Amino acid sequence: MSLNYMVPVSKFKRYLPKDYVELVDYGPFGKEFSEVGTKNMGKYKELVEEHPMCSGCWMAYYIKIIFASLPNPEHTVTIGTAGCGRLAISQAAVPFIYGNYGDQNAMASGITRAFRLRFPDQQKDVITIAGDGGMMDIGFSMTMHAWFRGEKFTTIMLDNEVYGNTGGQESGMSIKGAVLKMSPKGKNFNKMPAMQLAITAGCVYVVKMSPTNINKAAKAIRRAIFAARELGPTFIHAYTSCNIEYSIPTPDVFKDAQEMAKGRFAFEEFMTDEAKDLFTVVEAKKKKEVS
Amino acid sequence: MSKKITVGPVGYMPQSAPSMGVELSPEGKALLYGNIVEEEEAMRDAAKALLTMDNPTIFPGPMVLWDWRDDVAEKSAAILDLASEIPNCKIIPMPDYRPKYPKIDVKAEINPNHPNLTILDNKIKACVFIGVHCHYANLTLRMIRAGTACYTVAMCAEMGHEEAMASIRDVHAADVLRFRDIIIEVRNELGIEYTTTMPPENPSLPKEDWGALTPSDYGEYRSLIMSKKGEHVTAVE
Amino acid sequence: MSLNKKLVDMDYLLNEAPREQHFITGAQAMAEAVKRASVDMAIAYPITPQSEVMHLVGDIYAQGHIKEYYRAEEELGTMSAIAGAARGGVRMFTATSGPGLLRGLEAIVSWPGHRIPCVLGVLTRVVNAPLSIQPDNIEMAYLMHSGMIMLHAENQQDTFDYTLAAFAITEKVDVYIPVSVSTEGFFVTHAKGYVDMMSEELAFDVIDPYKAPVPAMDNEVPPARIQRDAPVQKSNFMSYLIHSVWQQEIWDSNRRAMKYVYQYLGGPIEVIHPDADVFIVASGCAAAQGREANRYAEEEGLSVGFIKVKCIRPWPKDEISAALKNAKAVIVPEHNIIGWLSKEIQASIPNGGIVVEGPRVYGGMTLPVELIMEQIYIALGMDSEKLQA
Repeated sequence: MSLNYMVPVSKFKRYLPKDYVELVDYGPFGKEFSEVGTKNMGKYKELVEEHPMCSGCWMAYYIKIIFASLPNPEHTVTIGTAGCGRLAISQAAVPFIYGNYGDQNAMASGITRAFRLRFPDQQKDVITIAGDGGMMDIGFSMTMHAWFRGEKFTTIMLDNEVYGNTGGQESGMSIKGAVLKMSPKGKNFNKMPAMQLAITAGCVYVVKMSPTNINKAAKAIRRAIFAARELGPTFIHAYTSCNIEYSIPTPDVFKDAQEMAKGRFAFEEFMTDEAKDLFTVVEAKKKKEVS
Repeated sequence: MSKKITVGPVGYMPQSAPSMGVELSPEGKALLYGNIVEEEEAMRDAAKALLTMDNPTIFPGPMVLWDWRDDVAEKSAAILDLASEIPNCKIIPMPDYRPKYPKIDVKAEINPNHPNLTILDNKIKACVFIGVHCHYANLTLRMIRAGTACYTVAMCAEMGHEEAMASIRDVHAADVLRFRDIIIEVRNELGIEYTTTMPPENPSLPKEDWGALTPSDYGEYRSLIMSKKGEHVTAVE
Repeated sequence: MSLNKKLVDMDYLLNEAPREQHFITGAQAMAEAVKRASVDMAIAYPITPQSEVMHLVGDIYAQGHIKEYYRAEEELGTMSAIAGAARGGVRMFTATSGPGLLRGLEAIVSWPGHRIPCVLGVLTRVVNAPLSIQPDNIEMAYLMHSGMIMLHAENQQDTFDYTLAAFAITEKVDVYIPVSVSTEGFFVTHAKGYVDMMSEELAFDVIDPYKAPVPAMDNEVPPARIQRDAPVQKSNFMSYLIHSVWQQEIWDSNRRAMKYVYQYLGGPIEVIHPDADVFIVASGCAAAQGREANRYAEEEGLSVGFIKVKCIRPWPKDEISAALKNAKAVIVPEHNIIGWLSKEIQASIPNGGIVVEGPRVYGGMTLPVELIMEQIYIALGMDSEKLQA
């Protein structure tokens, strides 16, 4: 279908709040990535603006990148769970489902299949965005099984290595030895190998990164969405520090992310041969369109 | 007629209209103060409220604000016609259903999660909801009845709303125009002199050129959006 | 639908369409109803005694009556996926039993608040421990406070009819909350009974995802900035108020379903011998035994009334209290230890003391008619000789 559902009835446009009129006139809906996207952030009406995240929150920054990277925001649904991330995600001008604890990938399995039944000719992107606790602890079974089943949607894990929203408890993604709430003597087992689990479970495209480079982060997100449309589950494991629970001074948040990019979040990209072929086609097409 | 549902404020913890025994009207009928009546009777009472109470306002919801179906334009035009016949009428939209963050602009919009803020700030004593999905309409109407002194009219495309003082069901464009005609009729009966006037546009719409926006417009948050290579911002909260 | 069915409304399908008699199990009856309900998608996860239902639903998917079907990871995954798919605007079905229901309960109890229309089959089973697969309907007690609509089928015929009706009720704009159809595991699911069914060429009208009290989450309906599941956890009065009126709305929706229970099931209760002094009130399988006890009593020339409760939620308080207005004793046979039905009845009448709490069987025990007869004799003040006999 067209963009009609987000275009105001012409006679009512002068009665709408400014925010909505601008979203339609200057927002990214129905526009090419080259016109809007991450490269032009700050120059158009973005999908996430005001949000209640902490000052200096690296997760909020990455969420803005996710929404600026969407290839098709007018046909995208995001799904999340309890955690800091959803405070910003729910402020985006994209439908967001706030389900129960850790159930995002099960819910996405249902809605992705429903969309494919109802709209066989219209690509609808489904993206789950949840934290390390929601994805790898409480939602572990549903995350893994959605991947094993080959469900065609994108999973993005915002890994801050702690339960930030509930006040700083140990998560499966915390590193061994970390002294956190509920691990008063230090965590006594290793950080879970999320990337390897995703590859083993059948994700066709998997990236681990500390998103310090906006364009690189956007490229990974877009690749994950394109591959999920055609091939199967995709997974992005991104470092999004919690400067509160890990006491990172706000001015040092970026430095910390850069250090992580050299350390345990060093950029790693896995793709199947089919995904590689797909990206060659998709990315060549885009270059041609631009030139 | 005993009024089962009355203009609020009914208090801190409202009892829901269905739990007080109010049932939705059957096809062809309307609800007035919780009682099943003829549509015309409900419309006339609603018209009187909109013509005699302070700051009458029409709250159009998403289903009539956005051009998503072929029949929307006609219905929306009819709503504007209706508004133009009510003296001093405002249009304040309910564009979506998510709670507003950080703070609602009560002059510019209404939200189903905290509708009373808009009603109270604008001192609205009579209003019409139209084009709102039923779940959110029920929440809104009940919260308004709980905490404000506002006469509510629900013009519903489906089965109507127990919580409203006047509830009209199965509303299409023609029904909105019929209500407009009744407004004019009652207005004349009341001897109110009036010339058709369009409501004022949304107060949140000062001219601003977003096309010329630059990163510096983001002030101190600019660095979080797009820091320059090598840039190190220290002056943040 | 690929099978070229004739789509009809539920009134015609349930009440007018010609039927033919079949001799089938309760599990088959439920699956046959699903076959005629234009279900888009079903999600399965095994648990005894439910599994049989979703096996058969899988078969009808393979035959093309359903468009999508898969086996999920476990019940929480199943129930969550249902919530996702239903938001996407498709008609959904699944079924579960006892411990499976409890495993999925976190998602299930959030369905009404999320305004998820769907039908859940509950083929009852004991809740562990110790582990057992036998029939016992204690899990229904956990659903009674969830806000969902609950129908309780007495036999195979009810299972078929109630399941079909459930699909119509759940999608009514003024209801739009899930409907569960319960019946006893094994006693009904694995036993055959006569079921009158309409032709499978007929099917219920397909779902219209835009005839709903909430927007479908499909990017085809406004608003653009949709937020169906408002996060209202802020600590302020407005957050408390929106949550409280939201909860009211769910129970109001539940209440509004009653008119459809009349429309499709002929009312929430069935009454035999309304003028009797002693009543048997029962639901589900216990109603079948209660009905039999009522027949025994009739043969013995005793005046005993019988009330079958078809719908547990919305609870037919007014109907039951009116039917028991002149009762002197009320016997409530049940298949669970806590007696959730007798507690509801006690709370529905001014003279709750007349309710005999039982007889109850549980853990898989059958409910012999004699147990009910014994209570009838006691209630009628008959001598102990009769009791011995």
